[in-house]
Parts: sequence; C-alpha cells; structure tokens
Amino acid sequence: MTTDRAYHAIVVGGGHNALVTAAYLARTGKRVVVLERRGHLGGAAETGNLGGVRVPRLADTVGRIRPSVVKDLDLRAHGLRLVAPDVRVFAPQPDGRAITLWADQARTVDGLRAWSTRDADAYPGFDRLVRSLGTFLAGLAAETPPDVKAPGIGDALTGLKLGRTFRGLGRHDSHTILRVLPMAVADFVAEAFETDVLRAAIAWRGVRQSFLGPWSAGSTAILLGDGAGNDGGAAGQTVFAIGGPGALSEALAAAARAAGAEIRTDAEVTAIVAHDNRVTGVALASGEELLAPTVVSGLDPKRTLVELVDPVTLGPTMRWRAANYRTPGVVAKVNLVVDRLPRFTAAAGEDEHVLRGRILAAPGIDAIERAFDHAKYGRVSETPVLEATIPSLVDPGLVADAPDGTHVISISAQYAPHRLRDGSWDDAGRADAFADRVVAVLDVLAPGLAASVTAREVITPLDLERDYGLTGGHPLHGEQALDQFFLWRPFLGSARYRLPVEGLYLCASGAHPGGGITGQPGQNAAREILSDSKRRR
Amino acid sequence: MAERYDAVVIGGGHNGLVSAAYLARAGMKTLVLEQRHVLGGAAVTEELYPGFRFSVFSYVVSLLRPEIIRELQLPRHGLDILPLDGTFTPLRPGDGPKGPRSKDVAGTGDYLWRVNDHGRTIRELRRWSATDGEAYEEYGQLMVEMARFIKPILGITPPDLTRLDPRPLLPLGGLLRSFQQLPERQQAVFVQLMTMSAADFLDQWFETDPLKATMSASGIIGTYLGVRSPGTAYVLLHHYMGEIDGAFRAWGIPKGGTGGISNAIGSAARALGAEIRTEAPVERVLVKDGRAVGIVLRDSGEEIRADVVLSSLDARRTFFGMLEPGTLEADFEEDIRRFKFRGSSGKVNMAVDRLPDFTALPGAGEHLRGAISFSPSVDEMELAYDDAKYGQFSKKPYIDMIIPTLVDPTLAPPGKHVISCFVQYAPYHLAPELGSWDDQREAFGDAVVDRIAEFAPGFKDSILFRNVQTPLDIERTTGLTEGNIFQGELTLEQLFFNRPAPGYARFRTPVRDLWLCGSSTHPGGGIMGANGRIAALEVLRSLGRRAA
Repeated sequence: MTTDRAYHAIVVGGGHNALVTAAYLARTGKRVVVLERRGHLGGAAETGNLGGVRVPRLADTVGRIRPSVVKDLDLRAHGLRLVAPDVRVFAPQPDGRAITLWADQARTVDGLRAWSTRDADAYPGFDRLVRSLGTFLAGLAAETPPDVKAPGIGDALTGLKLGRTFRGLGRHDSHTILRVLPMAVADFVAEAFETDVLRAAIAWRGVRQSFLGPWSAGSTAILLGDGAGNDGGAAGQTVFAIGGPGALSEALAAAARAAGAEIRTDAEVTAIVAHDNRVTGVALASGEELLAPTVVSGLDPKRTLVELVDPVTLGPTMRWRAANYRTPGVVAKVNLVVDRLPRFTAAAGEDEHVLRGRILAAPGIDAIERAFDHAKYGRVSETPVLEATIPSLVDPGLVADAPDGTHVISISAQYAPHRLRDGSWDDAGRADAFADRVVAVLDVLAPGLAASVTAREVITPLDLERDYGLTGGHPLHGEQALDQFFLWRPFLGSARYRLPVEGLYLCASGAHPGGGITGQPGQNAAREILSDSKRRR
Repeated sequence: MAERYDAVVIGGGHNGLVSAAYLARAGMKTLVLEQRHVLGGAAVTEELYPGFRFSVFSYVVSLLRPEIIRELQLPRHGLDILPLDGTFTPLRPGDGPKGPRSKDVAGTGDYLWRVNDHGRTIRELRRWSATDGEAYEEYGQLMVEMARFIKPILGITPPDLTRLDPRPLLPLGGLLRSFQQLPERQQAVFVQLMTMSAADFLDQWFETDPLKATMSASGIIGTYLGVRSPGTAYVLLHHYMGEIDGAFRAWGIPKGGTGGISNAIGSAARALGAEIRTEAPVERVLVKDGRAVGIVLRDSGEEIRADVVLSSLDARRTFFGMLEPGTLEADFEEDIRRFKFRGSSGKVNMAVDRLPDFTALPGAGEHLRGAISFSPSVDEMELAYDDAKYGQFSKKPYIDMIIPTLVDPTLAPPGKHVISCFVQYAPYHLAPELGSWDDQREAFGDAVVDRIAEFAPGFKDSILFRNVQTPLDIERTTGLTEGNIFQGELTLEQLFFNRPAPGYARFRTPVRDLWLCGSSTHPGGGIMGANGRIAALEVLRSLGRRAA
C-alpha cells in the first residue's frame, strides 16, 4: 500500500533548514515530501499568538539568513519582507548610561567617546577585523567540510579555495584568526577595548545560546561565526521579518511548494527505516510507512540517530558517539505583551528610536560569567543575562488588533539550564519564578515595565525539548563549542551531511556551519544530496 | 678584553642547560649564565629549614624526554628517578560510592585509591561503579594509542601556516597521514582531546565523581582554567606518555629532589665542554645592526661576545627585559604583550614530625607513597576555579600532595618528613580588596592547611615549618613572569604555531642570532627539556652544524 507513494526524498521535520533543503531538492524535479510533527511549520522560526497579539515565540530576528538562500529561492516573491533598524544594540546600564551600537559605524564611535576615547578610536579597527575574519568564516560556512578519511579531488579544490581565502586574509589577519578562534571571547574583546560594558555588549554574542561563559575557550569562534555571511560586524545584525520569524518559514514553505514539494503537518516520524545499512523510508506515528531512497533529517543529530534509527543498524560505537553529542540547553524564552512602550532610564526619552534593535541586559564580562557559574552546578542565574527585542516597533502589524500603545517584548534569558540540580522545570511555580526574575531585571532598567505587562508566556528549556523536539532544549541543535565544530560537527566522519546510514542525511543546525537562522546547513546539505544522486545515476 | 663564545645561554633552568649541553656536544664553545647561586630555575632543591631539603617549586618529573636522558647520558651524571606509586584521593566522612553501594560506606568516609597495579585499580573502581572498571580498561588502552600518535608532535618544529614555503609543512603532512590511518573512533577521540574540557571528556566514560575529579585535575595543573573549561582534556594524555616510553618510572621524584635533574644536566653539559656561571645575572642582550652579538652582565657590566645568544627566559622577560627599547617592531611587541601568563598555582612546602593521618584510611600505609589528591568531586574542583576567576585564592583549593621522604629519606632527619603541596588556585592578579600577595601569603597557607585538615584532622599539630610560595614569590625568585610555571599559559591559542607569537614559533626571534629555548616555546612547559633540545638542534641546523 506504500509503493504508490514512493518519493525521491523524505525530509523529516519542517524547520527552516528542512524547508530550505526541500525547496532546493524540489527545484531539480525531485519528488520530495516534508513531514512536520506539529500542526504548523517553522520549528524555532515561528510567530505565535499571545494575549490577542502576534509574537515571535522563540527566534525573534532573522538577520543571519544567507542572502544566497533568499535569492535562489526567490523568497521576496514568496512574501518575505525584511526590515533592518539603524540601531543594532542598546545596552542600558543600571547607572542610567548606555552603550549603543548603530549600523552606522561613525555614529557608534561618537557615542563611545562618552565612555572612552581609546575605545572609540579602537572601534573601527575592531569592526574591520571582525568583518574580515567573519568573511573568511562565511566562505568556510558555505563549503562542505573536506573528507579527512579519503580526500578526493573535490576536497583538494575546496582545500585550495580555503587556502587561497586564508592567505587572502593577509599575513596579519591570517595569523590573527589562527590565534583567536580558540580563544575566550573575554580575552578577545579585552585586546581591543578597556570599557567593561562595551566588552560585554560585544562578547555576549560569543556565548549566546551556549553552555559557555565569556571566559570559556572557543567563545570567540562563536562571536565571529555570528557575524559571518551577514552585515553584522562588531555590532552584530538586527533584522526583522515583517509578520515575525514565522513569515520566513511561510516564505520558505511557499517556495518549496511552488517548486513541487509536498508538505504535511501533524505527521510525526517515529522511525527511520533501513535495511542492510541503507535507508528505505520512514514510519509515521499513524502507522503509515513512506518509502524513499533518501531520508533527510532536519532534527538534531542526537534525536535523529538515538531516537529514530535502529541501534543495531547504527552499531554500538556510533551510538555511543551520538549519545555523547553535547546538547546542554541554557536558554529560556519569556514573551511579554505590554500596554505601553517601556521607558528605559538610559534611553533618555529616545525609547521610540533606540529600542528598535536588540536590547541587552549584560552589565559586564564578570556579570555574564557569574550568571553562567550557576548553570555549571544546575542552577538558574540569580541575575540572568537578557537579550530582548520589541518587534512591534518596526512591525506594528503584530499588534494591529490590540489597543493603541500595545507592544510585544521578546526576551531570551540565560542561564536557565535544562538539567536542574534540584527538581525539574515542571515543578509548580518554577518557570514563573524564573520569568519574575527576568521581568525584575528589566524593571530595574525600565521602571514601570513590570506593571505594564498584560500577558506573558514562559518557554523553558524543557518546553524547547518537548514542544520543539530540541534535545536537551538546545536551540542550536547542540553546543557549538570547539569540540562540535566544522570537520567534527556533528561528528568527525559525519560532517559532510551524510550520516553513517547509507542514504540518510542531516540538513539542520546540528551540521556545519551550525545553528541560528541561516539556512546554510540546509543549502549545503541539498548540494551534497544532489551530487550523490548524480553519482548514483 | 671581552671573551668570545660560539654560544651564550641566558638562564640555567633545565631547558637552558639542555640547550647548552646539545650545543657543546656539537663542539660549540658554550657559556651558561644563571642569576641565582643554584642551577635549575624552577627545578631546584634547597634546605629551607635546617636538616630538611625541599623541591621548592617543581616537585615531580613525568615528561623528561627519554631521548634527552639517553643522549646526554643523564644517569651517568647522577640522575636517579624514584618511582611514585598511585594516587590516593581521600574523602570526607559520609562521602562514598554513588549508587546502590553508598549505604555500605555512609558515615565512614571513603577514598579512591589508584595504583600502578592495573588489576588492583580495576577492583577498586568496581567497588565504586558497575561499569567504571571496564570503562577504565578501555579508556586506558585508548589513551595509550592516542599518546603514541601525539608523541611525535612534541618533537617537531611548528610550521608557519601563513608562509608559502612548503618545507616546514612536511612534518605536518606526515602527521595528517598518520592521522588518516587511525580508526575513525580514535580520530574522533583525538579531536575531543584537543578541544574538550577534561570533565566533559571523562563524562563520556565514567560515573564515579572522585575518579573524574582526580583525573581531570591533571588537565588544570599550571593553567588559569577549570576542569570544565574547553581545552583542558589534552593534558590527560600526558599521564600516558610515560607508559609508552616503556616505563612508568618516568613518573616519579628525582633522588635529592628536582635539583637532582638540574645538577645531572648541568654536569652533563660541563662534561661536554660547556662553561656554567652562577650568580651571573644578565643585564641585556647586545644587539648590533639587528643581530645579537653577545650580552652584558648586570653586576660587572662585563661584555661577553657570542655568535648566537639563546634565552631560556620566558618571552616577556626576554623581549622586554633583555633588549633595548625600540629594538623590536611594534606589531611583534604587541603580540608579546598579548601573550598571557596569569600564574594560577602556589606551592606550600612543609616540614612535619609525623605523617598525616587520614580519616578515610588511617595509619601510615602504602597510600601515602604516591600522590595524594585533594579532589573529592568535580564540582569542588570547579568551585575552586570560580574563586580564582574573580581574583580570590580558592577557599577550598585543589592540592596535589607528595611526601618525598617516603621514597627518599635522605631529604629529612630520621622519623621526620618533608611535605610538598602543589596548590590551585592562587591567581597572580588578586582582586583589589585583597591587596597584594605580600598581605595574603599566610592566609593562603592557612587555607591550604585547613583543606588538608578536613581530611586529616590533627595535621596542623604535626607542622614544624611552613614555606608558602605564592605566584608573586615564584616570579621574584625564579623570574617566571606572573609566576606562570609554564612560561606562558598552555591555552589552545598559545600552543604550537602560536607559541609564543604567530610567525615566531620556530625558536627564532625578530633579532637575528637571538633564540628562545625555554618553555615559552613549543611544546610548552613542564620538566620535558624538549624545548631546549629542539631549539639547540634548530640553532645547529641554521649554522650548518651536525648535532654530533
């Protein structure tokens, strides 16, 4: 009964990378079906509803989406509209001052003079360095990691290409990148700046969504990767999709459908079926079985291999390695609906304007590190580090049906470890207690904010795992530390989007170049799948 | 009239002496200049208290390269390494094996005791965990494989990846090939060793907390990192390097203290024709037209000319302490300024009138003859680091205790003992409210004694004499910048072709004929001697001489 619905490729999961892969495959005439467990698409890139308004539930900005993906899939024609405010980061301090990073470098430099002339003078050079190294990493990100085991001509070419871009960095920058990639981001920013709050405002991106503190080795690589392939630079990108991040997923789905892909929601895959170490299809919760010579997983590698693949097929060693893939989630999400725009003391009446970017509550390197310390022992931070956005400022449509003055505040809070030392996130009041802490931190910076909240939702790391299927509640499908990076993301020997079962591929954040809304793993995976299918013919 | 030498070596630490020995061996007229009255730098034995001789700083030897022992015939010059057996981890009353067995030991206080006798160690681990015994065997075999693969890296001169000259890359090609021949699992484990934290790495195998804590301790020795910091796993390998050199005897204490090593190397160097002067501090390196042409002595102002000058001092002391300002280009000076030291370890040396008595295993047994590791849990190890991150010395420090008099009674009067405690963390840069190490020295010493007394009550009363070495003291006495025992942090960004500065990892410096031969160079610190040897061989190659 299954034969009549044989496909070329089955894509498991309907997150943004899965949709990217499906669209690229369908464009070449392949019969592709996308199977999403939930009732709607997008995974972490979704727009939800809260108190009568629309809110970005998890991801709030989409500025890292690769321009080549937008162009290839013609996403604008499929309804994607992006807005980039001219403020990137607003970092208010308890003392009423603020660090503000603008898209316009000169404007940032002017603002920094109030803090330190030395830092103001150093900023352009640092911005240049971050962009230069980011450009190199973007090149790396767009390539499939070479095959270490049996390098082929293609790998040699890739190697040469990378070698050339590497030398293209120039002697100074090429030295620098070798030196700084494994470095602690706290040391990296300290080399350029003396102002602690400025260091923190930039270093934060090196630990965002990671089980790392600014003093952890390798956090610099994450900072530089965040700026790769986008206009980030030292300030980092801030770009909103009109209609919320869900609009990006809808545009991707529309592109995939237009290319001929079939997309099914409420279709949970319970097993990836294989015979003689070769995939033959998938089994659904409904009992239905779908056949295809190619199965592409948009789930994280641990869930894919440990939950969906038969242990006998996988073998003990690979299962051991997959089980030890690290996914310690530390992010909780708090979304607020407020009846008036918050007034930040440090905004000096400019809220309308400066609150359009990312609002950062990270009052110093040690403050971030101390927040992280709690997580190491399974505790939530006493004073969590917060990154918030108010998308309704640039996208009023989100609150169109709400009373005037209503706004949406989307907050990522660290550190909230998935594995708690005592009890669980399900314990009564635990999640709300954390959310209260989060709101309290903001209320200090914007007195009255707490009182203006009309609706609130808390998404704990446990919710991330259960509702979104992210193992360990890790938004990046696994730590992006040095041990799960490039040639060994997710595992050495499986970094080329091919998992150890013939015909099984990985297309999402667990693969190179890793997490975040970039579409890059999806694009790279599609390229590899297509080259394999050519080879087979 | 100034004397003339083929080579002058600044600093009589073990690396300086090794370099000198190899240069002299190749027939070069070589002079070693040491500022102190004793040779050895951080590897010295001194009688700090009448009748008691201490290895004041460095206290065990595990990595001294066997080729050096062989080529310099060190045993002939008095090198005798006495083996240490096992690692004993005492626990507090109430702490005991996790899981079902915990009730058996609750209230009694337990310990974890690993010895060189593999079988006994496995039985001990089975007492703690159903699976850790087996895991330990598998882990051990894997580590030996890894060590076998890594060893050559310690012996090569790092290439400069940014230069187009492919020749220095050749050894790397060889490494890549041997890497490709490893089974995939071993390749993956190698990558993990280079990138993971010791705690994360060990979590993959073991569940016994004191086992993971004690093993991970080797990953943080001398670093300003915690057991959960990425990059600390690699050092776990060093413990298996000795084994593949064909003898665990490679891990032990030199007869007569660590000064015994320095004296043996010094005597070998002399026998090969090198001249060694102590109490001869160097003022600066003489540079003429961009080349080093000799040195000036501090006290006499005497000038000593030489074709090449090797500095075994660390990078900062060499480039900022030994050269006229303006000798170096700003970019290079910036790189050296960035090279991180941040000493994090202290040393507490004590004379006692009796052996410590542990509640976990009372009496003076075999368990005191090896290392005694105060590392009851991974969290306590990490908490000790958290203190240091914010400029405090650890309230409950990690201590690696050795009682050398149990294997070398000559170090103390009969019945009395010398106790050597390596302690972390003691950050060189203290938080402002603590003032200077001169204000905190004894408070730190007390924290160490209290920590020991937690597991061995009554220890305090046995102390006859206490000598506390803070990072500041280590810097003052040995000249090691910021008291860093490795002449610069062994963090990933300061290893291999980045050590001490990108583009200058090949022992050469921007000043022609001035070379580095200390631990600031590849492969880093520890009493290995590898740096001194490879540097000397590079010098000889550059002069077209054969190493003889």
